[in-house]
Amino acid sequence: MRLLRKFLIQVGSKYRPEDLLTINNKRFIEPVDARLPRDKMTYNGQYLGMNRKWFIPSNLLLQKLAKEEETKKAYVDRDAAWFFVVGRDIFEENIQRFEGDVKLGRYCLVMYGESCIGYGRYETSGSLRVVKNMFDVGDFLRRE
Amino acid sequence: MDGTHSPLIPLSREDFIELYQSLGATLTGDEVTPKTLRVNPLATDESTLIKTLTAQGVDLEKIPFLDYGYRIISSPFSLGASIEYLLGHYFLQETASQLPAQLLAPSGEDNVLDMASAPGGKTTQMAAYMGNGGVITAVDVNRLRLYALENNLERMGVRNTVVYNMDSLDLPDEPMFTKILLDAPCSGNYVTDSRWFGKRKKAHIQHNFMMQRKLLTKAVSLLEKGGALLYSTCSLEPEENELNVQWLLENYDVKLGDIDAPGSPGVTEIFGDLLDESIKKCRRLWPNDVGTQGFFIARAVKQ
Repeated sequence: MRLLRKFLIQVGSKYRPEDLLTINNKRFIEPVDARLPRDKMTYNGQYLGMNRKWFIPSNLLLQKLAKEEETKKAYVDRDAAWFFVVGRDIFEENIQRFEGDVKLGRYCLVMYGESCIGYGRYETSGSLRVVKNMFDVGDFLRRE
Repeated sequence: MDGTHSPLIPLSREDFIELYQSLGATLTGDEVTPKTLRVNPLATDESTLIKTLTAQGVDLEKIPFLDYGYRIISSPFSLGASIEYLLGHYFLQETASQLPAQLLAPSGEDNVLDMASAPGGKTTQMAAYMGNGGVITAVDVNRLRLYALENNLERMGVRNTVVYNMDSLDLPDEPMFTKILLDAPCSGNYVTDSRWFGKRKKAHIQHNFMMQRKLLTKAVSLLEKGGALLYSTCSLEPEENELNVQWLLENYDVKLGDIDAPGSPGVTEIFGDLLDESIKKCRRLWPNDVGTQGFFIARAVKQ
C-alpha cells in the first residue's frame, strides 16, 4: 500500500484506492464474486500493480491515471514512444509538451496520444535533460 | 484407417487424410491459416485502430463472419510488438478460435466459467462481450500458462475475471454458472503445427477423448438448468468431436443448439455408426472450408 500510494502522489494523482486485495504481492481492487478456494486464486478483479523496489503499475492503472486531469504528463510522438517502450529514456527535445507541474527530479506519466505508455523521472543526464524510464508497457514482452 | 494399427506408433499423413476424406472433406493436408487479429473494444474504438494501423502501412481485411476479426494481409513490422498491441488494442488470435466466445455470446448478466482458460484469447474476448460486467471464472491447471493469461487480462483491460490455478475436474459439482466455455485440450491439427503428422499417435487421441468426456461431465454438473455449454476443439478427430457429443447426448439431459458460423455440419455417420441427427447442428471447420485451422464447435443447453 505504501509504495502504491507513493507512486500515485509522485505522478500527481488524487486516486486513493482502498480495500485492496493482495495475491502473491499483486494488488487488486474491486474483486469479483469468488466461489472457489481462496488458496488457488491467482488473480481477481482490477489489477493495480505490484511491489518491487518501487511500485510497478499495471496497464489498467496507467490508463486510469491517463484520464485524470491532475496527473503530470509528458507527451511524445510515435518515434519517441517506440524508444520508450523498448526501455530507453526520452530526451527533452523529443517531448512534445508537458502537462501539470513537471519539475526536475519529479515523476510524470509518459503519454502517446490519449494512452499512457509508462512513467519516468524528469532529470539531468550530463548536460541533457531526459525523462528517465522507470516503467513502460514494453514490459509485457520482456516478462514473457 | 487400419483398425489394427498400434496405438503407440504415429499414424501416417496418408492415414489421416484418408480418414478426413471418408468424413466428407476434400482437403489435401497442405492448408495454412492466415495471420489474424481481434480488435479489443474494451481498450479502443475499432475504426480508430484500423485507421491507425492502416496509416502505418498495415494491410487488413475484415473477416465477414467475425464481429471483431481482421485478416492481416501484410505488415511492415511485427504486430506482436507494436505500441497498440502493448496497450491491448488488439489480440493476435486465429480466425476459428475467435468463434467459440462469439457464439457463446456472454453478457454482463452472466456468470461464466472458462474451464481451460490459458493463455486467455477467449477469456479476454468474453470479457469484451460482457463489457467487463458479470463474472468470468477462469481455471487452468498449468501455472506457467496462467502467467500468460494474467498478462493478457492486464494488457487487454479485463476487470471482471477471477483466475484459479487448479484442475477443472476438481471443481465442486454444483450448478453455479449460466454459461460455460470448454475449449478442451485436444490433439490439435496440422494447420497450426507443421510437425503434427509426424508425431500424432492413436494413444494420444484415446487419451484426449477420455479426458474430454471427464471435462464434459464436470461441465454439465456445473451448469445451471437452461444454461449453455460451448464445447470446442482444434482437433479434426471424430473421437474428440462428434463422438464425444453423441456420448454427451446419450448420458446427459442436454439438447444441441443451432450455430451460426461457416464450415460444415457435424458428421452423423462415422466408422459405420449413425449418430444423432441433431449433431448436424454442430460446426466442423475443415481447413479448406473458409481458410482456418481445423476446428469443431458444439453448443449444448442443459434441460
